[in-house]
Amino acid sequence: MKRKYAYFPGCSAKGTCRELDISTHAVASLFDIALEELENPGCTGAREFRAVSEQLHLTANGRILALAERIGCDLVAVCDTCLLNLTETNRRLKTDAAAREAVNRALAGERLTFRGEREVKHFLWVLTEDLGERALEERLVRPLRGLRVAPFYGCHLQRPATVYGGERSEETPALDRLCRLLGAETVPYEGADKCCGFHVLGTAEEIAVRMSGRHLTKAKDNGAQCIVTPCPLCHTVFDAYQPSIEQEFHGAFGVPVLHVSQLVGLACGLSAAEVALSRHVVGCDGILAHIGVGGP
Amino acid sequence: MSPSSRQTTEPGTVRVRLYRFDPETDREPRYDTYDVPHRPRMRIIDVLDHIHDIEAVDFAYRWFCGTKKCGTCAVNVNGSPKLACWEEAECEMTIEPLKNLPLLRDLVTSRDPFEEALATLAPMIARKESYEGFPEPLSAKDMAGGDHLRDCIQCLACQSACPVLQQPGSGFAGPALLVQLSDLAQDPRDHADRARLADEVAQVFKCVSCYECERVCPTGIPIVSEAIEPLKRLVYGKGAVGARRTRAFVEVVKARGYADAARIALKTNGVSLKALRVALRLGRRGKLGLGSVLGDRSAPAAEAIRKAYQSHEDAE
Ligand code: SF4
Ligand code: SF4
Ligand code: FES
Repeated sequence: MKRKYAYFPGCSAKGTCRELDISTHAVASLFDIALEELENPGCTGAREFRAVSEQLHLTANGRILALAERIGCDLVAVCDTCLLNLTETNRRLKTDAAAREAVNRALAGERLTFRGEREVKHFLWVLTEDLGERALEERLVRPLRGLRVAPFYGCHLQRPATVYGGERSEETPALDRLCRLLGAETVPYEGADKCCGFHVLGTAEEIAVRMSGRHLTKAKDNGAQCIVTPCPLCHTVFDAYQPSIEQEFHGAFGVPVLHVSQLVGLACGLSAAEVALSRHVVGCDGILAHIGVGGP
Repeated sequence: MSPSSRQTTEPGTVRVRLYRFDPETDREPRYDTYDVPHRPRMRIIDVLDHIHDIEAVDFAYRWFCGTKKCGTCAVNVNGSPKLACWEEAECEMTIEPLKNLPLLRDLVTSRDPFEEALATLAPMIARKESYEGFPEPLSAKDMAGGDHLRDCIQCLACQSACPVLQQPGSGFAGPALLVQLSDLAQDPRDHADRARLADEVAQVFKCVSCYECERVCPTGIPIVSEAIEPLKRLVYGKGAVGARRTRAFVEVVKARGYADAARIALKTNGVSLKALRVALRLGRRGKLGLGSVLGDRSAPAAEAIRKAYQSHEDAE
């Protein structure tokens, strides 16, 4: 049976990180997963709607959840921060009748209703949990043998515990397991579950650059050839701002940063172009040579 | 207090690597190793007591109540801040002082920076006029905003875990101070200019929303959603400068239906050489998106966000 999900790419995957959207679709079709993209979904508000009002935060996210319910599928996100906003809102509106009614009043004009019938998932979990490790292994045509990968989880995939609870405890190394399953070695380093600083990038860039530079240094010192992350915001800091990090830390890093779907795609036989590797600031030729793929 | 997989359940030995440093006499910190006989339900503080009483009488640590009330006993255990009087000992522990606070000796850090910073936040209820009569009626609903915040025991575990405080000169007050400030800001009797204090003195918008503080808070305070975000809303509502990116973000999404990164950056910080350099770097890799240039927009989404914003204004 074909797996089907409602798909919310988020503003990053449609803008700065289009390679994430492209590679997600490419990997989904490899595994016969149907991703039905929401029409005009708007934005989950990153950390900003919630800094304006709870009502704005809940309405914007409730609307996205209602759009998924209209399609009748669980909702898939590819950004940690979107995932948190949507998961948190889903829980809240399922249990808080007053909040649900307020949101549904605001959505009535568009004939949308939040009913609380669906779950929110990260595409990473679709691969590791719904699809499962067996199915992934079967498609593994280009094991990433000897590639030393530093997984970077990002905060909002795992915290806060009030949203993710015990089931997704911070100890669960889902991404570590996935990398190893793809044949790669995972590099242990302090920082894998820490913060990239994205949410102050626009107002206090030096804080974000120093925070992520520290993680990058540790990953590289421990031998990482690349970083892989499930979050386009973390990707932006590590990849697009790597030249700023290099400036601040007075050194050359040259560590490519891959989206999860890109790493999976490469291991499952997709070409560099099919996972849009040329759209990175830090070039990926080194790792492509390592796994024996022609450059983008 | 969730049982850790590394907890000792069998009688045996607790192996401790203990941080030792006296800035007045030592040139650098060292780690001493001790094997402490394990007792059932042994707490971290019991291990420290044993080391102090039997092995190293000159070793400095601090505790007072022994019952999770005074907040003086927090230390870093295997890299994560814990209340020594409340958490069970693990079979292997590296015990170090809290981070982001000046060290006095061994495990004892100075609380002065916290107390001094608190003093700059007008840490008492400041009312316009005193309430005539006694007692003043206050309902649970009146006080609901800061309800969980008043569980804070000022242990400073959250300050130790906050990555922004690790950056020298960040100007950020940190979670423990924001909890205190937010409690006052949400108190209906208080009339001080808490928005200004939150923005200019505490610099609340420097919080990166990483939830590290919530992860380590021994009293389980939802620090981000119940202390920090209410303060951010206050600052946003006053139109203060700290909220400029939030304002830009909301305006762009209201106009276009999605968060166009380039436009938000431009609206937040204006044009600068630095911004142009970043734009060039991203543009070369197709990361600025045609949308930004052509000005595409999702009209239905923009309309919906405008309505959602309206529903927030109506609710105010
Ligand atoms: S959420 Fe904010 S206050 Fe809490 S640890 Fe992270 S940066 Fe510090
Ligand atoms: S908020 Fe929690 S961790 Fe921070 S000082 Fe208060 S009790 Fe300690
Ligand atoms: S000794 Fe008072 S809280 Fe631990």
